[in-house]
Amino acid sequence: MRGSRKRRAAAFDALATAVAICIGLAVVFPIVYCVLGAFKTRPEFASIPPTIWPESFHLDNFREVLAKTPMLRYMLNSLITSTIGSGARILFALLAAYAFAFYEFKGKNFFFFLVLATTMLPADTLIVTNYLTVSRLHLMDNYLGMSIIYFVGATQMFMLRQHFRTIPQDFRDAATLDGCGDLGFITRVLLPISRPVVMTLFVQSFVTLWNVYLWTLLVTNKDSLRTVQVGITMLTTVEDTNYSLVMAGVALLLIPSFILFIILQRNIVKGMLSGGLVG
Amino acid sequence: MPDTTICGSVSKAAGPGFCAGGTVDVSVDAGVSVAAGPGFTAGMVDVTVDAPASVAMGPASGRRVRKSWHKRLKPYLFLIPILLFSCVFVYYPFVKTFLYSFTVVNFKGQITGFAGLENFAYLFTFRTFGTALRNTLWLTAMFVPLNLCFSLGLALLASKKRRFGFIYEIMFSLPMAVSMAAASMIFRLLLNPSVGIVNHLLHLNIGWFEDRKWAMAGILLVCLWMGLSFDFLLFLSALRGVPESLMEAAVLDGAGTLTKLVRIQLPLVTPTILFVVCTNIVLSMMTSGPVLIITQGGPARSTSTLIYLMFTSGYQSSNYSQASCISIVAFLMTFVLSFLAFQFERRGVHYS
Repeated sequence: MRGSRKRRAAAFDALATAVAICIGLAVVFPIVYCVLGAFKTRPEFASIPPTIWPESFHLDNFREVLAKTPMLRYMLNSLITSTIGSGARILFALLAAYAFAFYEFKGKNFFFFLVLATTMLPADTLIVTNYLTVSRLHLMDNYLGMSIIYFVGATQMFMLRQHFRTIPQDFRDAATLDGCGDLGFITRVLLPISRPVVMTLFVQSFVTLWNVYLWTLLVTNKDSLRTVQVGITMLTTVEDTNYSLVMAGVALLLIPSFILFIILQRNIVKGMLSGGLVG
Repeated sequence: MPDTTICGSVSKAAGPGFCAGGTVDVSVDAGVSVAAGPGFTAGMVDVTVDAPASVAMGPASGRRVRKSWHKRLKPYLFLIPILLFSCVFVYYPFVKTFLYSFTVVNFKGQITGFAGLENFAYLFTFRTFGTALRNTLWLTAMFVPLNLCFSLGLALLASKKRRFGFIYEIMFSLPMAVSMAAASMIFRLLLNPSVGIVNHLLHLNIGWFEDRKWAMAGILLVCLWMGLSFDFLLFLSALRGVPESLMEAAVLDGAGTLTKLVRIQLPLVTPTILFVVCTNIVLSMMTSGPVLIITQGGPARSTSTLIYLMFTSGYQSSNYSQASCISIVAFLMTFVLSFLAFQFERRGVHYS
């Protein structure tokens, strides 16, 4: 009786695994198809019926996309914008979270909700007016202009505050007794003990900013300042879509994303959960 | 223990000349604030405040007054950056969008007259707007439940830890690593009616992004694929957070898989369901990226969404009043839908 139940459970597990992997293959198919497509020649893309495997694995498409298009420049632009944006976002969130966690002051709740309420207003609905503001500040075609609307990180502030509240007040009292000022306490005590949280939030913001499309499309006119997300869609025109070039570009773009993904696949969810946003 | 580490690191920063006494505080804090660079006035305040306070020299009463004044001001200094940017890039544009929607605005963004509700009245007679509104609501109505089914279904399938489980877990969460722009480019090729592989493999003859009837379904497909991973991971960790003891107790009571699902697992993940539904309502109401990249609203405006229309009227036509009206409508609808979703919280959501 017991043995048969065990065997049945094992068979069920094997079946579930097989089904899940089949679904999984369908889910990752677009990615696999894109990576394989990066090795295909132009005529192969026009062939009917379409093929999955390339005829040969040659690197001509990658060479072409790197030589003929400013792909590397686009990537550099994205790297700079995302670093500025998430750096400032985390820094400002950290300073505010510190005040909210360790100080008592008049209007604390009001300011706290003022910051948190920014998440209630979807950024996309404000994009046209922000565009006017940024162009009036002469920040068009400028790294600062491309990242400035992402400086407010209410979620990050909230999570950091939640985390800081778990740190005993004694730590701060001891630091103050030793003559540590606020910034001394933040840089020498708070940051070292909350490094995992801060790093997760930083990388998470970085990914969000790396993937931004609409805003950077809006505030850049110069080709040399386009981010990779905008640039990748400009490798093609309506009349002529050179898919081999596009797929090579997308495959290149996927490399840094996948590296980051491997690093933080788990941490994203953990970060969300520890922030108390879920459940 | 914390004391020693603090002293150690601080003395390192202050460098040579660090010794006991009242002057120490000054050098320490000064060192810190210099290291942090200009603009951090909070640190500078400490220099003048802490040193005299700890040594208690000079006319104490006068200094104490200054100290408390500084002390009271200090927390606000930390809030300045985030509040400044919140006001300039969130609250100010919101108020301005609101104002613009009731006024006549020229191409430079200056208000030239009051229009009252005429902007909205005009908008609702505008056929393109009707199409965009319908498309957006259709997308939301399809995306939110379908995404919930797929991501929760996959999470239930994967919730039990199995020997080779990591393989499909990674597969299910991989689309998360693909940005919207990249995914749109890939799906443009996949769903191409003639050379795309999807039609070929499934023996379909659908004109996806070229047929008015199917274009929005194509956009929906891209959105579903992009939204799958994150929600899957949320549900997965929520399901794995269900206490093992509860499940075992249920088995002892003779509960089958279905009973366990309906009576234990689903009720315990209702907070996550609520969260996912709310974020997805906002997400799908704000859809514009795939539309911009793949179809440019076409064919024949059949994929135009609210934010796409806002973008084209604001950015390409410089019609700021109209763009503002559209964004106010999008905002209000999103708000109402999220509010409705929250109504279920009281009835359905179970917090353990």
